Amino acid sequence: MSLRLVRIDDRLIHGQVIAVWLRALGAQRIVIVDDNTARDEFLREVLTLASPPGVPVEVLGVNEGALRCIELAAAPEPVMVLARTPRTVLALRQAGVPIEVVDLGGLGAGPGRKRLHKTISVSPDELRELRELEELGTRVEVQIVADDRPIPFRSIDRG
Amino acid sequence: MRSFRIVLTGHGTLPGSLLGTTEMICGPVADMSAVGLAGGETPDHFADELRAAIGHDGRRVLVLCDLLGGTPFNVASAIARRSPRVICVSGMNLAMSVEAALADGDLDDLMVDRLLEAGRSGIVETERHRARRVS
Repeated sequence: MSLRLVRIDDRLIHGQVIAVWLRALGAQRIVIVDDNTARDEFLREVLTLASPPGVPVEVLGVNEGALRCIELAAAPEPVMVLARTPRTVLALRQAGVPIEVVDLGGLGAGPGRKRLHKTISVSPDELRELRELEELGTRVEVQIVADDRPIPFRSIDRG
Repeated sequence: MRSFRIVLTGHGTLPGSLLGTTEMICGPVADMSAVGLAGGETPDHFADELRAAIGHDGRRVLVLCDLLGGTPFNVASAIARRSPRVICVSGMNLAMSVEAALADGDLDDLMVDRLLEAGRSGIVETERHRARRVS
């Protein structure tokens, strides 16, 4: 068994987007893996408030998150895993979390960041990390909302 | 004199527009500002902006939010829970922002009741509203 989908989105949980994704995945649980967020009690509260009623949110650092994801990947319950950065997902993968697909859902623009697709911009480091994920056998795709057709990372990564 | 500051917050350009429209009705309003959540903005960045608008001078602040359960409201209510001088109200509309802009006095329970009433009392369907008025 492996996690069906891990989504990278620098906004993590935001309104309707996540509600639609949860329905598409049939997920009843959200696991956020991010070291900074796990340490920030304020942000943890905001993200918990943002999840739909009845959907528990777990906010974990990378080490704890990897253990939890391995456990959840082996269980039948579908779960939505959210991360802020490619680095976190690579760390999960390297820690042995089986991940079938990584979805790039939102990565903001900024200085030194290259635009890959509409709302997806990456730094040179992030580009390397995404390529490494693909080498490890995890598919990387861009799919901003659940109704979009997924775009393979390879088709928009032109060096 | 109104003793408290007002911050309008919500999604996109709504808070800024509501501020402009409130001033169209009331004239220039002192101590009222607007903070909109931009598309793609992260919640922690938005929280920094909202905290700056709320200020750090110890004055009481009324934060009006556009949508219960939206990110601006979630951030504002998390701030209010940690800071008793901040009151967070959702469902803001023009009636509520005008009432707040023209308010006199302190941000006490009575004031909050008045603002909620101002926001709610203008939500009617004309036929039912008329029936209630003539009966």
